[in-house]
Amino acid sequence: MLKLNALKWWQTYKIAWSKQTTYRLNFVLQIIGPTLIFFFIKYNLWSAIFKSNQEIIINGYNFKQMISYHVWALIVSLIAQGHSAINLAEEIRMGKISTYLIYPFNFWEFHTASFLAFQSLQFFVSAVTISLFYSFGILQDLSLNYLIMGYCFSLFVSIFWFSLQYLTGILGFWLEETWVLRIILMIASAFLSGAILPLEFFPPWFVNILNWTPFPYLSFYPIKIFTGQSIDLIAAYLNIGLWTTLIIVANHLIWKKGIKLYTAAGM
Amino acid sequence: MKFYWNIYKEFINTNISEASSFRLSFILIILLDLVFYLSALGTVHVIYDHVEAIGPWNKNQLMFFTAFMLCVDHLHMALISESFWRLSADIRMGNLDFILLKPVHSLFTVFFRYIRPSALFNAFIIWGTTIYFGLQIPLSALSWVLLPFFIILSFSLLAILEFIISASMFWITEGIGINFLRMQIQQLSRWPDFIYQYFTRKTFTIAIPILLIGSAPVHFLYDPRQWEYLLGLFVALVVSLLVLLKVWSLALNRYESASS
Repeated sequence: MLKLNALKWWQTYKIAWSKQTTYRLNFVLQIIGPTLIFFFIKYNLWSAIFKSNQEIIINGYNFKQMISYHVWALIVSLIAQGHSAINLAEEIRMGKISTYLIYPFNFWEFHTASFLAFQSLQFFVSAVTISLFYSFGILQDLSLNYLIMGYCFSLFVSIFWFSLQYLTGILGFWLEETWVLRIILMIASAFLSGAILPLEFFPPWFVNILNWTPFPYLSFYPIKIFTGQSIDLIAAYLNIGLWTTLIIVANHLIWKKGIKLYTAAGM
Repeated sequence: MKFYWNIYKEFINTNISEASSFRLSFILIILLDLVFYLSALGTVHVIYDHVEAIGPWNKNQLMFFTAFMLCVDHLHMALISESFWRLSADIRMGNLDFILLKPVHSLFTVFFRYIRPSALFNAFIIWGTTIYFGLQIPLSALSWVLLPFFIILSFSLLAILEFIISASMFWITEGIGINFLRMQIQQLSRWPDFIYQYFTRKTFTIAIPILLIGSAPVHFLYDPRQWEYLLGLFVALVVSLLVLLKVWSLALNRYESASS
């Protein structure tokens, strides 16, 4: 039974992998392109800010440290925040989830296996990105220890991100357009997670409030781990773990309630 | 012209009816715009808490530029943004057949059919913000008169450039990625031209004039002696329109009508 189930996961993983790699241009434009452009803008912006003197310190960062911060922000977003549940709501709205109700492989299992395939691909893309930045001399102080710790935490964050995306997707039982929620989350998380500006730039009282939310753990703290700065790792895992658990429970309840409303449109 | 305006009024009516059926989505789109405005303006505000100037501009000047771009983005969100996402699906599924059969220019039906009435509700907020920062600079009387026209001109250039990019969906199987590329172009144009380094600035001013969308009119509003920016904007508009007509005609020849 366990072997059969593992085989189903494996097959779904393989299908999802080939789906992602078949439309390569689409993958590059949809997943890698936005993060690269985001980095490109930030690089230019900080170059303009530090133009007069690259050695001046702005809130603890000189130019090199700021660029290094944003390179790690790029890596973290590739590992932790790349996945989007763009098709979930459409599958619900168009009645495509009927298949999952009949087949012995659940909706969440299918999407989680697809997420794992996506993460494997992102793992590879992020490793290539790190190698490229390292070879250009932009990431100088690479440590295997911090790399492993950073990857582990970012992968843990990716589970949170996937759960959150899944949550917005299954709200499609009630909402016509769930993409709005997804974009709100993406904009808010980019601003509040330290992906645009390091959190040292925000007022301390605001950062204290943010620390109770999952936002700083999506970018700022993973970057700190990759760069070898000391943070309370246990608190970070606990925070994200707690939020992920809450969202998974919410997902379970929403699915149970939502499936009762499902009309299998188009059947 | 009157014929097209009558059709457009029908588009507006049907979109309002549709939007009012999904009230939660309606409210969420208003919320989305507000979050976006706060994030864009908040970023500039926080940076200027720690630096005196970015390039030649002080805080109020960059805040005005950002608000100006948000006005352009607001028009984009309300009037055309939905159409790009529909186009990708319409090409793939062959739904474009019904549009091509109609006795109006296909560019009009493809890109102006879907309107987001909810986005219009934020007009007062973003226009108010633009006026507020304009008063802080302060802008000259001439600049105030020109401001609404420049927002429309900038929106037109952004729209034409995005139509050209979207036409590339006819050459590939899955067009969603093109929409993401289009959105990245918007991102690049949301910062003034002087933050980019020489080669990037030249490429995105001359070859793909996305930096002219916001930087050209705002530079002129701050200093009317910089008329070459305005000239650049007009030239970019005319050339881009000609390129669009050519590219669109090639794209339609490429259309395979998947359902037929």
